[in-house]
Amino acid sequence: MDLFARRGSVLLIGAGILFFLSPLILNRYTIFILNLFAIYALVSIGLNLVMGYTGQISAGHAGFLAIGAYFTAIVGTKMGWIPPVAVLLAAGLFTGIIGFLLGIPILRLKGFYIAMATLAFGVVVSEIVLQWSSLTHGDDGFRVPRAILWGFVFDSDKKLFYLVQPITLGMTLMARNIVRTRVGRAFLAIRQSEIASQTMGIHLAKYKTSAFAVSAFFAGVAGGLFAYVITYISPDSFSLGVSIDFIAMIVIGGMGSILGSIIGAVILTGLQQLLSGLPEVQLLIFGVLLILFMIFMPRGISGMISDWWGAGERRPWRK
Amino acid sequence: MLLQVIVSGIATGCIYSLMALGLTLIYKSTEHVNFAQGDMSMISGFLAFTFFQFLRLPFIPSLFLALLFSIGLGLLMERLLVRPAITAPHFNIFIITLGASIVMQSFAGLVWSYDQFPFPTLFPAKNIILGGVRLNTNALGIICTTGLLMLALFLFFKYTRIGTAMRAVSQSQNAALLMGINVKRSFALTWAISGFISGIAALLIAPVIFLSTRMGLVVIDGFAAAILGGWGSIPGAVLGGIALGVLENVAPYYFPSQIRNIIPFAVLVGVLVIKPTGIIGEERRRRV
Repeated sequence: MDLFARRGSVLLIGAGILFFLSPLILNRYTIFILNLFAIYALVSIGLNLVMGYTGQISAGHAGFLAIGAYFTAIVGTKMGWIPPVAVLLAAGLFTGIIGFLLGIPILRLKGFYIAMATLAFGVVVSEIVLQWSSLTHGDDGFRVPRAILWGFVFDSDKKLFYLVQPITLGMTLMARNIVRTRVGRAFLAIRQSEIASQTMGIHLAKYKTSAFAVSAFFAGVAGGLFAYVITYISPDSFSLGVSIDFIAMIVIGGMGSILGSIIGAVILTGLQQLLSGLPEVQLLIFGVLLILFMIFMPRGISGMISDWWGAGERRPWRK
Repeated sequence: MLLQVIVSGIATGCIYSLMALGLTLIYKSTEHVNFAQGDMSMISGFLAFTFFQFLRLPFIPSLFLALLFSIGLGLLMERLLVRPAITAPHFNIFIITLGASIVMQSFAGLVWSYDQFPFPTLFPAKNIILGGVRLNTNALGIICTTGLLMLALFLFFKYTRIGTAMRAVSQSQNAALLMGINVKRSFALTWAISGFISGIAALLIAPVIFLSTRMGLVVIDGFAAAILGGWGSIPGAVLGGIALGVLENVAPYYFPSQIRNIIPFAVLVGVLVIKPTGIIGEERRRRV
């Protein structure tokens, strides 16, 4: 067992080293796609924390992504001397505070009402971005300045790879630690039964708002990275449809699973890129997948994997 | 002038009421939330358009044919999407109908393209002057049609045997089952009625805002209306719809006109923050 574990971790580290060397041989487009995978994986992990773990539907995560992206773009333009990592951290914290503030009124709501309130939040954010054109350039879109760290300019996808991937890796580990500690178990308990978890002494208000705050933090950082990688953002990039894509990612990947979030993000982003010439077909496939997964495999791909490996028993909330 | 705006606001509001009513009926019978209600409407509109535009059928029969199809669409949704997951949490059904909404939108985009199409109005376009107020016949037509439909639904639920059975199911599924009511059939019938309402809504709204794949987004106004009135209450749905429609038409008079776009969302957030039970909704307490 010990040997296997060690061999597993050696394999994992080897794969990691190979992954970080891969830009040396991959072409520009593939690297760009890998960066997109990472960004959407971050959003999807964040969404999973609030939806898959804590059980609060959010149909407005594109709003958080927009706040992170515009924060980064605006700060990058007005104060270009701040190193990108600090800008991203600030974008994440700013979005996190907004997530926390949104979490407060949502405390009073349940189930589908939360979905409606977050949906409205997402649409209002993109409407504000559209109307506040003195700050956001409205419909014309915003050209994001390059990230510059001590004179080093992140001006290619290859260079951005080394900004995006380490941050994603670090935050994935952070999410994994969150869900394994008492905080994560509190989230799961809330998902199962709010009343039961309250009787066990879980501070409902504290954990629900912090789930929203952490989730928004992830989406905010992802939004900042999105701005750097895409280099041009406009309100269209953050429509209601985008929020629904995020829901599709975690439903297909697997709710309540970090690995599932990554799998879902990779599959749907991959499909999006493959079918970028046929947006109707792409949407049709998303919709059909969403329905089929929800009816036949509500625990998503990661649920299937963990059943297959017999690790299902370890899942604390397995039915 | 203000009175005229209010009348056209009531007409818009009637369409929201119809959306809210379709959502509420389904919610009351099974506690499911149908995100695809607006897209069912959109599909019915496009079917009617196909019948009279491409198949050259006469106008009125095409509308009736489209209404039949809209009932079929409701039944199809229930049978194919909701019933296989009937034991799953309501959350799952919500996501399934969300998926259905995406499927219908992209399907319509593939078949009919993403363009906008003009849709002929049911009512002669004339203005009537009534007591010094200039009234649009289309607005009056929408209000009358909605009123008649509501009356018919009220009579159906109040006085027919099936309607009474459906009310019983919405109160308690188990008790209704014990009384020998066919609960499954009652669910299917709810979806059929909801489909029919979405079809009527399509025929009323398409002449006003043009026929397009984006028409389904009216479901969000429907949600806002139902929540404003009090989620789960039928009079609330009607009242909320009309209130929302009037608000949407009157607000641009006092504020910049862009405000119109965000009114449903502002109403959603406002009501949920201040009084989640809406105007006449009552708070539900659940036993543990």
